[in-house]
Amino acid sequence: MLNVIDITQLLSQFTFNRDEPMLFTSGLFWVLFLVFLPIYACLKSRRVKMMVFVIAFSLFFFYKSSGWFFLLLVATSFIDWWVAQFIESSKNRTERRVALTVSLVLSLSVLLFFKYSNFVMSNLEALIGGNFQPLDLILPVGISFYTFRTISYVVDVYKGKIQPVDDYIDYLFFLSYFPCLVAGPIVRACDFMPQLRENKPATREMIYGGLWLVMLGVLKKAVFADYIAQYNNIAFGNPTGYTGFELLMAVLGYTMQIYCDFSGYSDMAIGLGSIMGFNLGINFNYPYRSLNVSEFWRRWHITLSQWLRDYVYIPLGGNRKGKLRQHFNLMVTMLLGGLWHGAAWTFVVWGAGHGIALCVHKLCKPWLDRIESTPFTRFVSWLITFSLVALLWVFFRASTFQTAGQVISGIFTDFEWAYLPVFLERRSTWCIMLALIYGLHFVPVRLWDKMRDWFINTHWMVKLLMFIVLVQLVLQFASATVQPFLYSQF
Amino acid sequence: MNKPYWGLWSLLFVALVFFAVMSLLPDDMRIGGQEIKTPSLAQDIKEHVTDSVPQKADTLDADGRLPNGRHPKGWRAPVDTTAKTILFIGDSMLEGLAPRLAAYCDKSGHKLIEVIWYSSSTLCWGKTARLTELIRTYHPNYIMVCLGANELYVPDIKRVRRPHLKKMLAEIGDIPYLWIGPPNWVEDTGINDLLAQEVDEGCFYLSANDHFDRSRDGAHPTRASAQKWMDRVIKWMGSNAAYPIKLNPPTQVTSRASRIVIYQPPV
Repeated sequence: MLNVIDITQLLSQFTFNRDEPMLFTSGLFWVLFLVFLPIYACLKSRRVKMMVFVIAFSLFFFYKSSGWFFLLLVATSFIDWWVAQFIESSKNRTERRVALTVSLVLSLSVLLFFKYSNFVMSNLEALIGGNFQPLDLILPVGISFYTFRTISYVVDVYKGKIQPVDDYIDYLFFLSYFPCLVAGPIVRACDFMPQLRENKPATREMIYGGLWLVMLGVLKKAVFADYIAQYNNIAFGNPTGYTGFELLMAVLGYTMQIYCDFSGYSDMAIGLGSIMGFNLGINFNYPYRSLNVSEFWRRWHITLSQWLRDYVYIPLGGNRKGKLRQHFNLMVTMLLGGLWHGAAWTFVVWGAGHGIALCVHKLCKPWLDRIESTPFTRFVSWLITFSLVALLWVFFRASTFQTAGQVISGIFTDFEWAYLPVFLERRSTWCIMLALIYGLHFVPVRLWDKMRDWFINTHWMVKLLMFIVLVQLVLQFASATVQPFLYSQF
Repeated sequence: MNKPYWGLWSLLFVALVFFAVMSLLPDDMRIGGQEIKTPSLAQDIKEHVTDSVPQKADTLDADGRLPNGRHPKGWRAPVDTTAKTILFIGDSMLEGLAPRLAAYCDKSGHKLIEVIWYSSSTLCWGKTARLTELIRTYHPNYIMVCLGANELYVPDIKRVRRPHLKKMLAEIGDIPYLWIGPPNWVEDTGINDLLAQEVDEGCFYLSANDHFDRSRDGAHPTRASAQKWMDRVIKWMGSNAAYPIKLNPPTQVTSRASRIVIYQPPV
């Protein structure tokens, strides 16, 4: 057999493939980024040309992941840009309100249709009967994220917090900006637009600091999260086949897996933004160091928490209408937050659990504030918070309530320390990696900052070596497998 | 392009070149006893960007095989009615399957050698010479394999397990065989696709779509369900297997293999 270049096959690598969306961890993205980077660097000082180029790349990035649905993003951006212009120019309060309502209804209805149609219809079927066939819908990648960003823009213009963007191309750049497209962070126009207008050149610190963040993100996502996910998937896929101890390890594993997954992808996005000269803020701030659940939500997915606070909780009345109403507002916000993560009742229960925990914390706060802060009390606070967060992740991960129930009941009714030695022996790499991730999570922030500064200033060859070692680690762990069954009793 | 951008670009470029060269190296490279994984860049390009051009017409050889060594779709050998020595290897799923197969063998005059390697996978078998040793020891003229249940979750499975599966098939060589696929309790990451691609036509029974009653662990079929599973496999062999053999319906539900070999789970 001879192998020759097949142009059709070559081109097909650049077309939409439902099974192979382009993510920051895919090889194709980095090959394309290698082409993108020098062109971007040359165009950086010429603002309009740079924007046209980045928009083209972003739309291609979106097309590669979601097909022709990238046109939906273009349409949304145009409508909301126009609505914002209209709101600003109109002096009539009713007109402004109608324009805002139209924009919100349009944005939310598209999101609801793609994300929640099957969920709503299957629930209706359960309530009133029928023969429902799920719709074969492709969920456009990142629709939840760009919808929230465009809503915040229109609402902020309506409230007079920001001026609308004059040029459509600026707004399309903001909404389609590929580092934030897939999984956030949910950057606000008020933070992003001034940077775009100024278009300052990226400094050496920003470029190599960005690379440092990208590398950390890759380590978290492609090494840590993907490797420890293997055992978690096995245990959550068949919880009745595992003992309480093994299930507890899976819950501890999933607690770190989801953090490494979410924050790893955020780090890559923020790092890429930094390389391009944009500060996208921070999205995760060591959430498992939190001493209470309120603090957890100030450290976990920060841009989403702030969005929910500013565009759901506060408009509902926040804490301005009495304690009872505050707790109601908190519950509604967290329920919606849960549903935003996925169209299933397990996500709603996850959100409700956090809502209840936040309400209880607010109720107990006057009493808790009187307790003296000692290492022991801080440890107890941390332990309670961490245990609660980890327990609630079970509902987030489990595909059904039955699975969640099996995991939780397994931990509480079938737990034996006797499994510890054999678990450590048979899944030693997994255990070492989990311990390493937990250990790294508690490394002081100043030490991380020092490492980042050292990386920025270190020799180019050292950077190259570190990058190569990282990619090799990804390769090593991508094909490493975790022992599925310790020993199954038939 | 300013200096820091140039530095970053050259760093990424050098790294790409490094891994492109690495991808040309053999898969099982070792440094200091540690296996070094190489990227699949060259393989990916070969698979996705090039097209295979046959050098000669796809004609069958004397054994009825295509130039790629496989039989054409639908090819079947005539039913072999002679007594066989059947080597049945696999993971813990054999505990349910083998006793039922033994009952068929008793009724059909076959000798059954059952080899259970708990928690094993194509990786374990492919990395060792255990299968070759078993063939050398027991001289089977029919081989049955049930493997894959411990590989339902393996990421990038087609790339990482294909060489081991190919090695197993090479060890089986010309001995007629049947591979029974895993009884999925969750969707797999590609083990069944991989088996379907590599195992010869008529030598792979896909179990993934069958219904199973599960034991308490939620993964293994119950004894009764495993017996029905074996019945379905044998019924399928009657009309689809490339190498059908005589398997008369048994009068007893289960029996015991002539020899049972057990290996402990791999470390």
